[in-house]
Amino acid sequence: MPPLISVEEVSRVFTGGARAVTALERVSFEIQTGNFVSIVGPSGCGKSTLLKIISGLLPPSSGKISVGGKRVDQPLENVGMVFQAPVLLKWRSVLGNVLLPVEFGKLDVAGYLDKARALIQLVGLAGFEEMFPHELSGGMQQRASLCRALVTDPQLLLMDEPFGALDAMTRDELDIELLRIWEERKKTVLFVTHSIQEAVFLSDVVFVMSARPGRLLETIVINLPRPRTVEMMSAVKFGEYTLKIRSLLSTAGGGHAAAAGSTM
Amino acid sequence: MKASWKNIAEPVVFFVALLVLWEILVEIIKVPAFILPPPRDLWVAFIKKLPILGNHALITFIEAFGGFVLSLVLGVGFAIAVVYSRHLQNTIYPLIVILYAMPKSAFAPLMVIWVGYGLFSKIAIAFLVAFFPIVVNTVVGLKEVEPELLELARINRGSDLDVFKKIRLPNSLPYMFAGIKVAIVLSVTGAIVAEFVAANQGLGYLVLQANYSLDTAFALVILLTLAVLSLGLFWLAEILQRKLAPWSAAVREVEGSF
Repeated sequence: MPPLISVEEVSRVFTGGARAVTALERVSFEIQTGNFVSIVGPSGCGKSTLLKIISGLLPPSSGKISVGGKRVDQPLENVGMVFQAPVLLKWRSVLGNVLLPVEFGKLDVAGYLDKARALIQLVGLAGFEEMFPHELSGGMQQRASLCRALVTDPQLLLMDEPFGALDAMTRDELDIELLRIWEERKKTVLFVTHSIQEAVFLSDVVFVMSARPGRLLETIVINLPRPRTVEMMSAVKFGEYTLKIRSLLSTAGGGHAAAAGSTM
Repeated sequence: MKASWKNIAEPVVFFVALLVLWEILVEIIKVPAFILPPPRDLWVAFIKKLPILGNHALITFIEAFGGFVLSLVLGVGFAIAVVYSRHLQNTIYPLIVILYAMPKSAFAPLMVIWVGYGLFSKIAIAFLVAFFPIVVNTVVGLKEVEPELLELARINRGSDLDVFKKIRLPNSLPYMFAGIKVAIVLSVTGAIVAEFVAANQGLGYLVLQANYSLDTAFALVILLTLAVLSLGLFWLAEILQRKLAPWSAAVREVEGSF
């Protein structure tokens, strides 16, 4: 089966400032349909830039991306995006926020109402449909933003450190919820994180990236049974995976760059 | 509940005490009435000249409010144009900034030459002082949109009109109202200054007349009337904001800056 996403020799150089910054250097990988794939690396390794390039929001300086066999040269259609911040509209209820992509796409809002309500229920926000963002906790806001990404039923979900700003407990909770939704809805997920544990826990495949300029260090296939449980985090195999990624990152000088660099 | 009762009682008690103190001190020190009349005289002046006060207050209100409405319509329109047109941003906006740096009230004598002695020269000055806070705040509100929201719009093929209607405009409302609240109070000041320069009606004219005849009590009454007028307009803006942009009130309460 051909891969859903294919990234070939993609580089990105930012030239806006006093000197050119190479955010990505000749990154190549493939992602299979239905896989949960994470990109892990230190801050400033170009993870978010890579996500933007795949979504078609940002053109690469060189190289080629194709999704579903088609070359990406404009923003992708039918892709869900979840950002680090929930970025909900303060003046809209949860339901109104979830329906925003439907309105933008000039789709039939009434026809999507049931779908939106079902999604809100799926992420555990039933009863909060008419609440406004400021009435919700950070975790609940991020759940609503996940619904917004899923409402048009995209085949691909791009997530940019979506739970990075949440406390550790809420983060674990949402990781498990995300896996449950992923298993139910059968999406392809590309998940950017700087947490090694989170990447191993969620993914089928983990791409490990080096600090600036961002290069693909290694592709690690995670052979842990599904569905994943919190108990698995204390399994020997889980420890081996995290240790391997950690040593990859430290030999690449990732830790140092993480302290000096900033998120691109 | 207890706290809110206290919040009403405390200022009332304070102001009553202030009035009593004022009355007593003026009596003891024997300050001449043309320098500082006792509060009792203010009350007498207020009752006696209430009809005149009302007529002139109406004039000043029309000038200030007319100038404000004009500044709101043109200011918001101009802000939208500047945000969407790079050409305007490069040409007209710097001109506006230069105008902004000038003391607007200094235009009052010129306005008499340009638009005449009547109501319109006052409306023009009220407009000038109210225009800038509305433009500046609305421009910021239209621009300060989270970039992720714009990415979301691009991914979902949102039109420019939708981005304006559903993201930029509502996003700008709390900023716009911050500008409106400054502008609406400034517009009263603008109208008064314009009346100082050349007028035969309005509260600015009336306060000059009271000064000429050393009627300090009435002058103070006029100043208090102006305070009531300004506060009334401010509250009107506040009520409208709660109706049209309740999310800004929620944000403000969280920040505790009101």
